[in-house]
Amino acid sequence: MSLLQLAGIQTFIEQFHILEGVDLEVAEGEIVALLGRNGAGKTTTLRTILGLNPARSGSVVFDGDDITARRSFDIAAMGIGYVPEHRAIFADLSVEENLRIAERKPGDLARKEEFIFGLFPDLKRLIRLPGTNLSGGQQQMLAVARALVADNRLLLIDEPSEGLAPVIIEQMMEAIRQLSSESTVLLVEQNFIVASRLAQRYVIVEEGRSVKTGSIADLVDDDETIRRYLGTGS
Amino acid sequence: MTTDTKPAPETMSKQARRAEWLRENRTRLSVIAALVFILLAALMGLEPEDRFATIMQGLSVGALTFLVASGLSLIFGLMDVLNLAHGEIFMLGAYVGWTIYTRFDTALDVAVPLLLVAAPFTLMPLWRRLAEKIRQLDVNWHGALWVVALAVAYVAWFLVFARSRADAPDSGASGFVITIVTLVFATGLAALLWRWRHHRSVGETAGEMKLTAWSFFIVGLGAAVVAVTKFPLVIWDAEDFAKSPSNFSVQIDLGQLAPLPPDTFGWPTLMAFAVLLAGGALIALGLSCFRTHAGELIALTGRHWAAFGGMLAAAMVLHLGKVSINEWIFGLSTTWRFFLAMAVATGVGAAVGAFIEVVLIRPLYDRPIYQLMITLGVGFILIELVREVWGRPEFTMARPAAFNGTGEGCPGEGLGGFFSGCSTVEVFGSRLRVYNEGFIVLVGILVLIGVTLLLKRTRIGMVIRAGVQDPEMVQALGINVRRVFTLVFAMGSGLAALGGVLAAPSIGLSTGMGAVFLLGAIVALAVGGLTSFPGAAAGAVLVGLLQQIIIRYGQTGISVPFLDEPFKPSPTVVPAAAILLMVVVLLVLPSGLFGRSER
Amino acid sequence: MTAPTMTDRTGLTGWLQRRRGVLITAALLVAFPFIISIVVDGQGLAAVWSNEQGNARFLQGLAIEVFILALYALSYDLILGVTGLLSFGHAMFFAVGAYVVLIAALLQAFLFAIVLPRVKGITFALVTLGFASVFWIVIQSSDLQEWAGAEIGLQGVEAPVWFLDTTNHRFAFYLVSLAILLGVFVLYQRIIDAPAGKVFASIRENEDRSLMLGYNTFWFKLMVLVVASITAALAGAMHTMHQPIVTPNVASLAFTVTALLIILIGGVGTLTGALVGAAVYRLLQFYLDRWYGAASELLIGLAYVLLVLYLPYGIVGTWRARSLRIKEGRDRLLQMVTGASKETSSPEE
Repeated sequence: MSLLQLAGIQTFIEQFHILEGVDLEVAEGEIVALLGRNGAGKTTTLRTILGLNPARSGSVVFDGDDITARRSFDIAAMGIGYVPEHRAIFADLSVEENLRIAERKPGDLARKEEFIFGLFPDLKRLIRLPGTNLSGGQQQMLAVARALVADNRLLLIDEPSEGLAPVIIEQMMEAIRQLSSESTVLLVEQNFIVASRLAQRYVIVEEGRSVKTGSIADLVDDDETIRRYLGTGS
Repeated sequence: MTTDTKPAPETMSKQARRAEWLRENRTRLSVIAALVFILLAALMGLEPEDRFATIMQGLSVGALTFLVASGLSLIFGLMDVLNLAHGEIFMLGAYVGWTIYTRFDTALDVAVPLLLVAAPFTLMPLWRRLAEKIRQLDVNWHGALWVVALAVAYVAWFLVFARSRADAPDSGASGFVITIVTLVFATGLAALLWRWRHHRSVGETAGEMKLTAWSFFIVGLGAAVVAVTKFPLVIWDAEDFAKSPSNFSVQIDLGQLAPLPPDTFGWPTLMAFAVLLAGGALIALGLSCFRTHAGELIALTGRHWAAFGGMLAAAMVLHLGKVSINEWIFGLSTTWRFFLAMAVATGVGAAVGAFIEVVLIRPLYDRPIYQLMITLGVGFILIELVREVWGRPEFTMARPAAFNGTGEGCPGEGLGGFFSGCSTVEVFGSRLRVYNEGFIVLVGILVLIGVTLLLKRTRIGMVIRAGVQDPEMVQALGINVRRVFTLVFAMGSGLAALGGVLAAPSIGLSTGMGAVFLLGAIVALAVGGLTSFPGAAAGAVLVGLLQQIIIRYGQTGISVPFLDEPFKPSPTVVPAAAILLMVVVLLVLPSGLFGRSER
Repeated sequence: MTAPTMTDRTGLTGWLQRRRGVLITAALLVAFPFIISIVVDGQGLAAVWSNEQGNARFLQGLAIEVFILALYALSYDLILGVTGLLSFGHAMFFAVGAYVVLIAALLQAFLFAIVLPRVKGITFALVTLGFASVFWIVIQSSDLQEWAGAEIGLQGVEAPVWFLDTTNHRFAFYLVSLAILLGVFVLYQRIIDAPAGKVFASIRENEDRSLMLGYNTFWFKLMVLVVASITAALAGAMHTMHQPIVTPNVASLAFTVTALLIILIGGVGTLTGALVGAAVYRLLQFYLDRWYGAASELLIGLAYVLLVLYLPYGIVGTWRARSLRIKEGRDRLLQMVTGASKETSSPEE
């Protein structure tokens, strides 16, 4: 059974019709990459799942429960972690507070500490620093780490490689690969190389519709599809 | 693609970091330095024995301003709402505190019907469940309900407004008004009947359900309003009520209000109780009908019933034990009554704040300018409400006994003198008032410490600080940020109301007092950086000091070059100085002294 | 189906055609005192001119107040509704006109303009609030009693010319204020229809984008402020002529709120709304005050809150949206009947 299922999602932001029919399915334990051009509706899809931009029609089913009309904090509390684009860590809070705020019950952080600092050793060193003093890569690590504090079964990760130096991207990819042993990942990624090395399956979104899905291994060789939906070839 | 430009902090040396920080904050530091210099220079220009007193008076005004500014700052930071009604909550706090302090009997009296109407709200899960059932009902039920609601609204209006106005001196208009309103109601009835006949199915369109919700709401409100006029309250008995200065007594004196004849409020107590309860229940039901709660129905637990029973019991006890409770309260020392007034006013302020946030601000989060407009309107309504309820707009309030001693051994000497029970104290050669310069400042400092601890040390404080930056992300972590909004709004309003009570014995009560302090708080906020809590505190102190220094100079005069006589600013222009300070600071530093500059 | 008749949009007839609404309104309002005089008072036509006591004269006075308020609200609508600048200092514009003269109106617009490039949004609102509060405090203070009369205000200002004398030549004053109001209204409409008006709207929608398109938005905002300031000052000056006493309250924040309330009633950004709103507001205030006394203020406050919550586009705004929807429905019906499938392409994201 799939962990997350979107069917016929239509989403408006103010009067603009952003999503005009997105269907996708994420099975337990896999990494699915959401691909597409700028402005195709990838980020909006993630936000619709979380109820930040609620769908006007269609359904979002998570773990057998229809969550389409639920409020965002209820949805998140069901076990969905969100790593938004541009990191969005809390700059005035220290690294530790940034992690602690994601606790859903006391002791979450203590339990997960080892795992998180195993993935991102840097953070342990910076634990007292305010978020604003972190570099871009460290902020991104913190944003991912924050989503790992609570027991999330599904992680929505938006553009983890955006604006990072290549060596940091490598580190980030390694971390995502490792954390995917603990939870399922739905990944939005502009950088096709990164996506192709992480994900098992892909869904392409084009002008607010999901147009193509399949195994990422097949897509790597499919220059035609890549050129058509993702702009430049790989 | 942008690259990782910002160097990691640990790669920079300490000196380099400091230099960078200095460069970034050049303007800010020079402005702070200039302000400190001006303040010091102004203080040095005063007579030595005035200096300490002026500083303490400044701190006192600063503390009151801070109580308003702290809530304003938290609310603006978290929700981006500049609550222009905040000053009026300060004023409301003062009036509520005054009532508890000097006319506890009337407050007790009003508390009973309020408790009765509020009690059914504790059973919200029940009403939501019922609302879902009603949603499924046949349209004829809905239609019948609409018509009943309209009839009740008309009767309530007629009983309460039309009739009491018929005795008023200008009764010539009454007949005309009654005709017009009756016509309006008749048109409404016709429209409803038409809607009933040409209904679309209730399940599909929200329109019918909304009408039903309004119907419940109106019937409930009408029942409650009528029942209150039938409830045996002190304030309905003009003779008894005339013993203290308040609305009705003044109006009776002026001949503007003919007191209702005694038999008009002669319902048996139990019946009034029952109707008030029913009214509250219908209002709660109406509110839960406005939107569907299908996904979030929770079971009614013993705790809900306990809360409900508790409120009922409290209403009963207050009503039956009215006389002895009043005797006991009036037997207490004024100091204890004052503390009680502080607690109650803070609570009422918090409740009013929560109500404003939930009912008026919440529907408008996607229309920020309208939020600003609505807070303006709320402030206006609060002023008029106070004017209606308390009648004579200006009161004075006696200082509580602990700060009002005179005679033997007074004024007190030194710092210990603050606890001597005297009204004044001599410290460092200056004569200070214990209440104004001691107690108010103390409460201000305690609140500052308390709120800072709350923000820094507790989880809710952490959520607030995070929410100031990015409420949506907080939400996405599984935290109900709307509830935090309401809490912060309630807390801020409570603090403002507390400020109002504190201010009342020192500056007296007037409907204009809120506007004055709101202006001071806005200046404090703008100077300190709109969303910075420490900034708001610093700004408030700055505003207080500046005002007191100018007042002091108003007595001695400032020698201005090219003028023969020293310039003596009058007390009325004092607020202008603070505002000019704000304008200058905002022009030089749009993000304030301690605010984060715009990204 | 016939093609829609092409109307001649040039020349005098065209002008008459385009300004049809304004002209009809003007004609009706000019005739209004005569009609009241004949129908209600039972006096002749000449009574209007000879300034007889009666309903006609009284209602003219009320109408003049409406015109002044409308002029004032119109200028606020230009700032807030059209250009999107939230200013809390608008009462100062009016009061400067009431207390001083028009030249000062220019000066204060420039005062606000110094502020403009530095602060935006809520900070701009606060700074304007600051200016207006200082002005309010200063004219109330005893330091300026000789000139501004402290809290009592100005009394018995003499009319400079006979047609501005509201006690002895009310009908003339009525006509003058009506003419000024409608003249300014037409002027405002022209400004909005002109290219500059488009820039105002784009500043409201997204200032950064207008900047990137190469408009120096500062000059446009300055222009708006100058125009609005002069208009409001004009309204203020007329207020001084019309009222026997000018109190400092016309400089208070509450009076800015009045402007806000009027354009909310009428519909923000619609211009026509300011006129409709002023009439509704003043008449409502007058009659509520008559019927409910002090409680009327409370009722107006409640009405204001309900308006913001439930009728945010005001009378004119809601009316336009509705008639637009009716038009849309009619178009769709026509399309279905004629079978034309003229699908409009969706706008780019």
